[in-house]
Amino acid sequence: MKAKKAVSLLMAAALAATMLTGCGGGRGTEEAAAPAETPADTPAAVEETAEGENTENTEPEKAAESSAAGGGIVGVALPWLGTQNWAEAEVMFKEQLEAAGYKAIIQAADQKVPQQQQQIESMIENGAQVIVVGPVDGSQLGSVLEKAKDAGVYVIGYDRLLENTTGVDGVVQFGSVKTGELQAQALLQGLKELKGEAPYNIELFGGGPADPNAPNFFTGAMSVLQPLIDDGTLVVVSGQTDFTQCATVDWDNSKAQSRMDAILAGNYSDIEIDGVLSPNDGIARAIITSCENAGQPIPVVSGLDAENESVEWVWSGRQYSTVAKPTDALVGQTVSIIDSLLSGNGMPATDVTANNGVIDVPIYELPPVVVTKDNAKEVFADDPDRMALLKD
Amino acid sequence: MKYIKKVLGEDLRQYTMVVALAALIIIFNIASGGKMITSSNFQNLISGNAYVLVLALGMLMVIVIGQIDLSVGSVAGFASMVMAITARQFNLPWYVAILVALAIGMIAGAWQGFFLSRLGIPGFITTLGGMMIFRGGVIWISNSISVPVPSELKWFGAGYLPEWGPAFTGMNNSTLLLGMIAIVVYIIIQMKKYTHSGDVTGEKEVFWPFAVRIGIVAAVIGYVTWLFGSGRPGTSFPIPGLILVILIILYYLVTERTSFGRHVYAVGGNKSAAELSGVNVRRTYFLTMLNMSVLAAVAGILFVGRSTAAGPADGTSWEMDAIASVFIGGASVSGGVGTVIATMVGGLVMAVLNNGLMLMGVGADKTQVIKGFVLLAAVAFDVYNKKNRG
Amino acid sequence: MSDGYILQMKNITKKFPGVKALSDVTLEVSEASIHAICGENGAGKSTLMKVLSGVYPYGSYDGEIFFQGKKMTFKNIKDSERTGIVIIHQELTMIPELSVTENIFMGNEIVEKGLINWEKERRRTRELLEKVGLHIDPNTIIKNLGVGQQQLVEIAKALSKNVKVLILDEPTSSLNEADSENLLRLMLELKEQGITCIMISHKLNEIAAVSDYVTVIRDGKTVDGYAVEAGRVDENKIIKAMVGREIENRYPEHTPKIGEVIFEVSDWRVEDAKVPGKMLCKDSAFYVRAGEIVGFAGLMGAGRTELMRSLFGKSMGTFRGGKMKIGGREVRINSVREAIKNRIAYVPEDRKGLGLNLLDTIRKTVVSANLDVIKTKGLLDFDKERAASEKYRNSLKIKCRDVGVGVNTLSGGNQQKVVLSKWMFTEPDILILDEPTRGIDVGAKYEIYKLIHQLADQGKAIILVSSELPELLGMADRIYTIFEGKITGEISAKEADQEMLMKKMTTTA
Repeated sequence: MKAKKAVSLLMAAALAATMLTGCGGGRGTEEAAAPAETPADTPAAVEETAEGENTENTEPEKAAESSAAGGGIVGVALPWLGTQNWAEAEVMFKEQLEAAGYKAIIQAADQKVPQQQQQIESMIENGAQVIVVGPVDGSQLGSVLEKAKDAGVYVIGYDRLLENTTGVDGVVQFGSVKTGELQAQALLQGLKELKGEAPYNIELFGGGPADPNAPNFFTGAMSVLQPLIDDGTLVVVSGQTDFTQCATVDWDNSKAQSRMDAILAGNYSDIEIDGVLSPNDGIARAIITSCENAGQPIPVVSGLDAENESVEWVWSGRQYSTVAKPTDALVGQTVSIIDSLLSGNGMPATDVTANNGVIDVPIYELPPVVVTKDNAKEVFADDPDRMALLKD
Repeated sequence: MKYIKKVLGEDLRQYTMVVALAALIIIFNIASGGKMITSSNFQNLISGNAYVLVLALGMLMVIVIGQIDLSVGSVAGFASMVMAITARQFNLPWYVAILVALAIGMIAGAWQGFFLSRLGIPGFITTLGGMMIFRGGVIWISNSISVPVPSELKWFGAGYLPEWGPAFTGMNNSTLLLGMIAIVVYIIIQMKKYTHSGDVTGEKEVFWPFAVRIGIVAAVIGYVTWLFGSGRPGTSFPIPGLILVILIILYYLVTERTSFGRHVYAVGGNKSAAELSGVNVRRTYFLTMLNMSVLAAVAGILFVGRSTAAGPADGTSWEMDAIASVFIGGASVSGGVGTVIATMVGGLVMAVLNNGLMLMGVGADKTQVIKGFVLLAAVAFDVYNKKNRG
Repeated sequence: MSDGYILQMKNITKKFPGVKALSDVTLEVSEASIHAICGENGAGKSTLMKVLSGVYPYGSYDGEIFFQGKKMTFKNIKDSERTGIVIIHQELTMIPELSVTENIFMGNEIVEKGLINWEKERRRTRELLEKVGLHIDPNTIIKNLGVGQQQLVEIAKALSKNVKVLILDEPTSSLNEADSENLLRLMLELKEQGITCIMISHKLNEIAAVSDYVTVIRDGKTVDGYAVEAGRVDENKIIKAMVGREIENRYPEHTPKIGEVIFEVSDWRVEDAKVPGKMLCKDSAFYVRAGEIVGFAGLMGAGRTELMRSLFGKSMGTFRGGKMKIGGREVRINSVREAIKNRIAYVPEDRKGLGLNLLDTIRKTVVSANLDVIKTKGLLDFDKERAASEKYRNSLKIKCRDVGVGVNTLSGGNQQKVVLSKWMFTEPDILILDEPTRGIDVGAKYEIYKLIHQLADQGKAIILVSSELPELLGMADRIYTIFEGKITGEISAKEADQEMLMKKMTTTA
């Protein structure tokens, strides 16, 4: 009975298969290599030469030339659309890539690694010549990206480093150590401005440990803060100064808020908190909410991403500062690299590299911008959406 | 119709899911302009879903015995994270690391089996606890940071069979060999069946249905072999797929041809009757849960092999995919019903849906919605069928 | 039309697949009386009450029900309750975790403006409890009450529904003496208030004490009716009516070939696992010889099944001592598996609940208690499995299309044959058959009787548990009677008759 079942399973597949050979199209034996197919995918392209690599690498470029007229295919794999910067990136990639004449395949993985792996594979299947990857977890795409590389596809990391793989050609991101320095400087500036004389009571928060940027932010910030902690200007009342102590798993705002609640309850029953280092805007707002609930005066809090709500809060004085990493600049930089690749000019030159555990990856860094109430109108002058938030 | 029944067996309803699977593949192939049925996509399909199908094998037995295991994703994540960390920090060779992962799976399974079989705490609760414990464990021991695994493990998650022998075959010869072995084994089984068909009833069956079956199956295996074997040089039927096939054969035998398998169905079908037939119910519960967690560890190994790193979120909601596969495969929520092959078909339906929708550029949000509807439709269809039968 | 009858059931016939549970039953109950219905286990009493209360809806049976002269067509229990017919089942149906008030108004809550008015419910509960003579707090949680008190709450619940006819299914079976008396007194009080009671019982003393009329049902038919006058009833007459079918040639001829004693049990004691202190078996001792068929007679709940299952690998109750000898050698058996290894087999009374996995096929069921036998090189051999099941299919004449079909597609008789096959396949020396012919039609019964004889002739020791006395008299060589966990008698079948057995089954000597 059961064996029969197995057999007939295969059999039904056979029926399907016979029907399929008909609609499989031009893909058949090697001799019948179909030029219409995307070059990276045809075995014919590979069969020609044993070295394979060369052919494969030139193939996309050839296709790219034609793309000047007809456009190439670009895949964009985003981790999710749950925060403003990723939602914006999706829209901007679509607009800018299509404006440049490319066909864009943009997919978001709902923060699931296996989902993203399969999405990248499907982009390869769909003949993408360049794949832009904003990873869910930068170190868990190893074999998939290598598959892309073997298929002759360029892989560009977006916003986060792609680790633990040889299948990455370059990463576009904001300088993450620099970002951390800027956050710390803004925090100090705010403390001086609003909280009178030193010493100041502060607390430290880090980002999601799975994001390779998060420790960098923290390192950058601590390079500024540590000397002042050592000389007593700043006092971390809870004593939690290690990244692992301060990290916020998954960048989860609610976890940050719980941690802040606990710190306030445990350490600030009779003193006031003056400032908090926050790695991004969502966490910043969680921290401020927590302080308000605890009846504390609002501390000086740093941020990142210039999310709409935080821009409003900065404008109204609830959050002292944020750091804008203008998504359009990041997308613009990425698209210009894609232009260069698909017009046959290869990766543009850069002198910054980062070791991803396997190879040195070229990094294209963009400078972030600190936003406070004072400079908000200048920073967002070209951004009508955010300008609309800055009403008096 | 009479002839079809001769070939396929009396009950044609069991093929509905197979037909649905074939239809899906065809529809997606047309809709995506021929991108579905390609060597590389099928390789992706198998290596990208092997871990879910491995979980589904264990989950089938858990569901048949009338329980549920919510912890499999967390156990998979935990086992593979321990593996990654031990390999990295203590510089253990990869095979020791794998043994560590399997041992963790075994311990986790024994832990949950203990609560279910000895203390009588329902599997739902036992494993809900396990889900939290092991998920917390992964995050704890990893500090929420992904840990790369030894590069040898990549072979398990994304590797291919070796290339060798003559080039004129135009395909990967390892795959070709496997395909030929499969066909030969099938022919032997069918011929044996034919020659023994009269032993009990004294009435020998006619030969032609066997011949037709052999012909069709050989054609299918041949086509599948060609599909997997004729991809880019260096690629073949994927290693995780091979591991999966070995496990499928193994678990087919376990569920159908061993006392333990029978006991699982007996306990799930009627626990009191099983007890009065001499089945050690506790032991059966225990081993089923143990087995599930070991398979979870295997799934974890396959997954991190493909990811090249163990991540703190690995395994999140995998249990749901595994459970869905089992139910689409026609298992019963109240236990006692379900087969390995049908579960694999159910898992493939989910995998093909996912893959096909991605190829068409459908977003993860809508894919999720569609998968939900398919699960409901499949189970509703099954229930409807059973009602009409009874 | 009504002639002083509050309730008339006329020519009720109810069929189940393969069996006629009721045939042409007529029951007439006078207003404000206590009407007893008695009969053997399986005679059809409960089925009749289920027809009356709408558990089996109108249309699923033949015949008519008149209530206060009007024809009733109940579709469900709610319908019958609305009319004023309430049934209190043998197993109580209250929710143990809820309070008395909540249980009484379950499904019938006093709702005002969408919310339950607890105050009113409690006040009403107190009134109702008063009526049944229970002086407890309406907020008491049910599980904290004794069984007798729970029974009274059930009656209070019935009263809350403006009951006119109250049906009590073996109401005192789980009560102790004092509680029983209390309950019977309450029934008399209710009668004073104009409530009619129908009481199902086979305790003749109770029937005599309270009822006005007795209807005896046997084999799904009403056989007789007696008025009870001044608390007196001719017990012998009722017993005769209950058991009094002619013993026709329903049992095959058989000359026993009895050998040595091969199974011997002494001082066997078993305690109820759920109710501490309650003994299910009290110092039971008996023996069975090779080739002998030993009957166990006892009413339901007397402890027959409990004893047998305890002997079968201690699979019921808590073992409190006793010795078992097989073939003269003392054995200690602690699991079903060990029991099977020691060649004991037990065919349970509850075929669907305990004997079969209804999801399985015939061939899988037949081999399921002895899988080791069909293995080749460690794997189950389907050819051997098929051969085994075909063998029993032929020898037991199991009617099926193929041994690959599900056991759920078979009739009761064929299902029972499959269960018997399963245990014959373990090649037992001692075969315990617990109600092997329950719910099986006459033809299949005869075949099973012949099979039992064959097995006995093979030298097996056979224990036949049955509540059908004619079956025991027709089949057994020797009969033990059980009452309240105690073996109350041992009689050679030749000397026994039904009245004698019934007496020993209902009284301690």
